[in-house]
Amino acid sequence: MTKYLIRRFIQLVVVAFIISVLVFLLVHLLPGDPSVTILGPNDTAQNRTILLHQLGLNKPLWNQYTIWLTAVFHGNLGQSYLNHESVTHILATGAPIDIELIVLSQIVAFAVAIPLALVTSRRPNRPLDNVASTGTFGLLAMPPFVIAPIMVAVFAVGLHWFPATGYVPFTKDPAANLHDMVLPALAITAGSIAVYYRLLRSDLISTLQEDFITMARSKGLSNRRIMLRHAFRPSTFSLLAAAGVNIGALLAGTFIVEWLFAISGLGYSLVVSVQQRDYLVVQGISLVVAIAYVFLQFVVDFLFTVVDPRVIRE
Amino acid sequence: MPDDRELGNTRASTQLLTDRIPGQAAVDEMVVSRQSGMLSSDDILVTKPLGALFWFAIGWLGLVVVLAVLAQVLPLPNPNFQNYSAINSPPNIHHLLGTDDLGRDLLSRLIFGARVSLIVGFASVGIGMAIGGTLGLVSGFKGGSLDSMLNAGSFVILAFPAIVAVIAIVAFWGQSLLKITIIIGVGTIPLMFRVVRASSLSFANRDFVIAARTMGAITPRILFREILPNVVPVAVTFGLITVAGVIVLEGSLAFLGLSVALPTPSWGNLIAEGTANGNLSINPYIMLWPAFSMFLLLLSINLIGDRMRLRFDIREGLL
Amino acid sequence: MASGNEISRRTFLSRGAVTGGAVVLGAAASTALAGCSTGNSGSSSSTTASGSKPGVGTGTPVRGGSLTVGTVAEIDGFYPPMNHWDTNGYLYANAVYDPLMAVGADGTIKPYLAQSISSNSTYDAWTMTLRPGVKFSDGSALTSAVVKANFDALRGSPLTGTALKQVASVTTPDAMTVVFTLTGPNPTFPAGLTSQVGYVVGEAMIQQASIPGTTPKPVGTGPFIFAEWQPNDHFTATRNPHYWRSGLPYLDQITFKPIPDTVQREATLKTGGVDMIESTDPGTINRFSGQSGYQLVDSRTGVIGEPTTGFIMLNTAVAPTNDLRIRQALAKGLDTAQIQKIFGGGFAKPVNGLFLPGSPYYSKTDYPTYDPAEAKALVNEYKAQHGTPTLQLITITDPRLAQLVQIVQQMWNQVGFDISVKTVQQASIITEFVTGSFQAATSYQFGTVNPDLNYVWWSTTTISPVGGIGLNFTRLDDPQIETAMLAGRAATDQQTRVASYQKVNQRLSQDLPYLWIEQYLFSEVAQNRVQNFNNVTLPDGSPGYSFNEGQFFPTQIWMAG
Repeated sequence: MTKYLIRRFIQLVVVAFIISVLVFLLVHLLPGDPSVTILGPNDTAQNRTILLHQLGLNKPLWNQYTIWLTAVFHGNLGQSYLNHESVTHILATGAPIDIELIVLSQIVAFAVAIPLALVTSRRPNRPLDNVASTGTFGLLAMPPFVIAPIMVAVFAVGLHWFPATGYVPFTKDPAANLHDMVLPALAITAGSIAVYYRLLRSDLISTLQEDFITMARSKGLSNRRIMLRHAFRPSTFSLLAAAGVNIGALLAGTFIVEWLFAISGLGYSLVVSVQQRDYLVVQGISLVVAIAYVFLQFVVDFLFTVVDPRVIRE
Repeated sequence: MPDDRELGNTRASTQLLTDRIPGQAAVDEMVVSRQSGMLSSDDILVTKPLGALFWFAIGWLGLVVVLAVLAQVLPLPNPNFQNYSAINSPPNIHHLLGTDDLGRDLLSRLIFGARVSLIVGFASVGIGMAIGGTLGLVSGFKGGSLDSMLNAGSFVILAFPAIVAVIAIVAFWGQSLLKITIIIGVGTIPLMFRVVRASSLSFANRDFVIAARTMGAITPRILFREILPNVVPVAVTFGLITVAGVIVLEGSLAFLGLSVALPTPSWGNLIAEGTANGNLSINPYIMLWPAFSMFLLLLSINLIGDRMRLRFDIREGLL
Repeated sequence: MASGNEISRRTFLSRGAVTGGAVVLGAAASTALAGCSTGNSGSSSSTTASGSKPGVGTGTPVRGGSLTVGTVAEIDGFYPPMNHWDTNGYLYANAVYDPLMAVGADGTIKPYLAQSISSNSTYDAWTMTLRPGVKFSDGSALTSAVVKANFDALRGSPLTGTALKQVASVTTPDAMTVVFTLTGPNPTFPAGLTSQVGYVVGEAMIQQASIPGTTPKPVGTGPFIFAEWQPNDHFTATRNPHYWRSGLPYLDQITFKPIPDTVQREATLKTGGVDMIESTDPGTINRFSGQSGYQLVDSRTGVIGEPTTGFIMLNTAVAPTNDLRIRQALAKGLDTAQIQKIFGGGFAKPVNGLFLPGSPYYSKTDYPTYDPAEAKALVNEYKAQHGTPTLQLITITDPRLAQLVQIVQQMWNQVGFDISVKTVQQASIITEFVTGSFQAATSYQFGTVNPDLNYVWWSTTTISPVGGIGLNFTRLDDPQIETAMLAGRAATDQQTRVASYQKVNQRLSQDLPYLWIEQYLFSEVAQNRVQNFNNVTLPDGSPGYSFNEGQFFPTQIWMAG
C-alpha cells in the first residue's frame, strides 16, 4: 500500500509539472498579453514596454517559468495582473463553489440514477425501462445552457421558488447558500443522470445474469435484498469509473452555468483569465485542477477497493 | 464481500481460493464474468427480435444522414439567407419549421446543421478512434514501457483543463469545420485509447491469443487476426456514445463562440442562438427543432449502440 | 491620450466570455479636457406606467435601507492611476469617491469636490480651490497636497500619464489651492476633471498602491465607505456618516453585483434579487417599456456631447479597405435602417456621424445613404482592376454582435463582396486594433461630454505603420481632421468649437473610416421603490447630468417603504 501511495504521489507530481509547463507555454504563446488588457486604449509602444517590464513579462519565457515555479514552491501562486487579487484567494473563494456545485449535482444524479436503474434493470426493455431510457436521453440532449434558462423562467421568474442568480457562501448562511445553488446544480446534473443511469442499468443487467444471483434467488431471498445486497455492489465499477471521468470534466468545467448564474467559481475565473491573458490566474487554476484530477482518480481507485477489496489496481 | 457475492458459485472464486495473487484473480474474474455474460445474452439475442424501436432508430439516423448528405440537392432555401420580412415566423406553408430571428428558414438550417453536427460527431470520433484506438490496441497488447508512457500521456491530456486548450487552439488556428473537428477529435483520443487499451489488455492473456503466440504467430498477425475483431465491438459501441457526446459538446463550444464560423449552421449553434438574446421566450422554435432532432438522434444512436452491445455483450464497465 | 475614450468596453473590460454587453470607458482623462459642451439637455423622457417621471423621487426622502444594483460587468479595480473605469467603474467610484468637477444638466462643468476653478487669460494655468472641511474615510483631511499626490501618481502611470501630458506641473501655493500649469492653452480643462483623473483618493491609498502587488483599499471622500469587494461577485459600501454634503446619502448601504447575462440580470430583477439593473441591450428597453412596477431610464434622449455609437471600423492602411471606393461601396451597401430594426430593436437612433440631432454640434453630413446599385457599381469598378474584393469582418463573442455581423455579411455579399466573419477574443481584438492588422471590425466608442477627448483616435500623430502600435486604429491620415481637432481644443468661443467639430464630422463622413450603425443605448431599470436614481443635484444646488450613459450618482437615492 505504501508503495502504491508513493507511486501515486510521483504520478501526481509528474502530471502537475507537465501540465504546468504546457499551460504556461500555451497561454504565453496566445496572441495578446496582459498589457493589452491592462492598458486598453493607452496601449502605446512605450507604455507597453514600461508595463511588460513592471510585470516581469520582458524576461525570457524559461526564466518567467522558473520564477513562477520557485514561487509556487514557496506557496505563492502570484496574483492577477488586472485586479491584483491573489491567486490563492481566487482559489479559496472559487473552489468551494465548484466543489459544492459538483457535490450537489452528483448527489442528485446518484439519487435519481441509482434507484431508477435498480428498478428498471430487473425488467429491461419493459415500458418503465423504455420510459426511463427515453427520458435520460432527453436529458442528454439538453445542454446546461438550454436547461438553465428554462428552469429560471419556470422556477425563478414564474414560481419564485428559487433566485435567478446569486451566491452566498455556505459558511455564511447555509440555508441561503443551498437555496441559491439548487438551480445551477440541477442545470449540470442532467447529463450525469443520463450517463450514470445507462451504465448502472447495463451493469446490473449483466450482474443479474450471474450464477450467484440465481443461487440467491433459489434460496428464496427477496428481490429487494437481492438487488441491494447482492447485485448492486458488484455492478458499480462502471458507475465509479464514469463518475471519475465525469467529475474530472466538471472541475473548472462549469463555466457556462457559473456565467449564467453569475457565480464566480473556478470555471468562470479560468475562462475569463484565459481571455484576458491573466497568465498567473490561468496557471494557478490549471495547476490546482490538474492536481484535483489526479487526486480524484486516486479516490476512484480507492473506491474500487471498497467495492471489491480484492481489487488492488495495477 | 465473499458472503455478499456468494463467491462459491463462480468459476473465478473457485480459482480465488487457490490463488495467491488476489489482484490477478479479480482481473480474471472480470474477464470470466464478461465471458459468461456474453454467452447468455447471445442466447437471448438469437431469439429476441430487435424491436420496433430499433428500426425506428435506424430509420431516424438514416433519415438524418440522407438529408444531411443530400442537403445541397434538396429543394431547400439557402440556409443562410436572411429574409427580413419573415423574422421569427412560426411554422407555416412557406417555412415548414418557421424562421429564426434573422428570417432564415429553420428547416433548411436544421438540415444543413445536421451536416455539420454529423461531420463533427462522426469525423472527430473517427480521428480519436484511428489514433487513440490504434495506440490502445498495441499498448494494451504489448504492455511494458510503451504502455506506461502512453497511459501517462493520456492521463495528462485528460487532466489538462479542456477549456484552456480549446480557447488557445481556436485563437491560434481559427474555426473552420475541419479545424473544430480535429480539435475535438484530438480530445477524444485519450478516451478511445483508454477504452480500447482496457479491452485489448483483457484479451491479451486469453487462451486463444496465448495459443496463437505459442504457435509462433507474429505480433501484427495476432493483433489484427485475434485481438482486433474482439475489440471492434467495444470500440464501435463506445464510439457511438461518444458521437452523441461530441454533438452536444459542439453546442457548448458554439455557446462560447468557439465553434464553426458564422453563419454556418450546426445543431449546436442553432440551440445556442435559440437561447441567446431572449429568443427562448420570443421564438422557442429556434431552440426546439435542433434540440428535439438531437434528442431523437442521441436516442437512436444509443439505442443502436445498446442493441449492438447486447449482441456483442460489451460491459459498459470497460468504457 | 484619453484613457477615457469609448473603445469597446466589452473589448477592454468585460469579464465574461460571452458578455451580453459591457460598459464603455466613460469620459475619462484626456489631454485636452475640453468642456462646456451643451448638448441636448434634460433627462430621459420615458415614463413609468403610472405617469410619474422615472427615476425622479416623489415625496420626502427616507433615510436608511439598502440598494442592490445588478451590473453588466466587473471592474478591474478602484485606483484611478492603475485601473480602467468603464460605466461600472464610475458607478463604483461615485459611491466611494467624489470627482473634482461634475457635468451639469445643461452640459456646463460645475465644481463638485473642488469649490471653484478658474484660469488665467491664456487658458494655460488653472487655479482650483478645494472645498474646506472635507474628510476622507480614514479621517484624513482633503488638502492640496493630497490632490497633488493624486496627480503625481496619475501622471507617473502608463495608464493615465499620457492623458495628462498637457499638464506641465501641479503646484500647491497653499493648503487649499492647487494650480495646474499646462503646456498650451486649453479652455476646456475642467471637463477632464469630471472623469477618472478627477476622482480624488486618500493619501493612504496612494501609499498602499506604491507597494508592488498590493490591491489598495479604497479611501475616499464619497457618500459611502468601502466595505468589501469580491470581484465578479459583489461590491458593498456602507453609508459615510461624516459625508460633507450634509444629510446625504439617504441609503445605509449600496451593493453592486455583476450579472453578465442580460436575460439572467432581468430575471434577477424580476425575482427581487436586485433592486435595479443596468443594461446595454436595447432588448431590455423593449421588455420593460410600459411595464408597471418598474421604472425605465435610457439614453435614447438626454445625451450630452457625443453619444456612444456602434460602428464598423475599416482599416484604411490595408487592402482592400485602403481604397476609398471600397469604403464607399461598403457604406452604401449597408441598409442601416434595416439593421436598426433588427439589431437595435427599432429603439436606437440612426446616426450619420458623431452627433445626434439636437446637439449643438450636429450638422448634416455627406455620409452615404443606402444605395445598393451604386455600391455594386463601385465594387465592379474595383473588381475590374483587382478582382473580387474579399474582406474579413472581425467581432468578439457576443450573441448580439453575432446577429449584427451576419446581417452585415449578407448585405455586403449582396453588393458583390466576399465577406468572411471571424470571432476573436477580447485580448486578440485589441491587439488587432492597435497593430492595425484587421480589415473590418465591429466596435463602439466615442461617448463623451467633450469631443476633444476623442482626439487620439483620429489624430495623425497616433498613426503607426501596420504592425506597429498606434491608437489611430483605422490609420486614417487626414491632416484636415488633425487641424480641426486642435482648433476645437483651443477654441475659446462656442462658435469656433462647433465649427471645428462639425468639420471633423464632415471629414469622417467623406473618409469613411467608420461605418455608423446606430446609437449605442444604455438603460437602467429599477423597481418602483427605488427613488430618485435619475435626479442628481450638484453641491451648488443646480441639477446635474443624471444619467451619463449609464453612470449615476447614488448619493440622493432613497428607498420608498
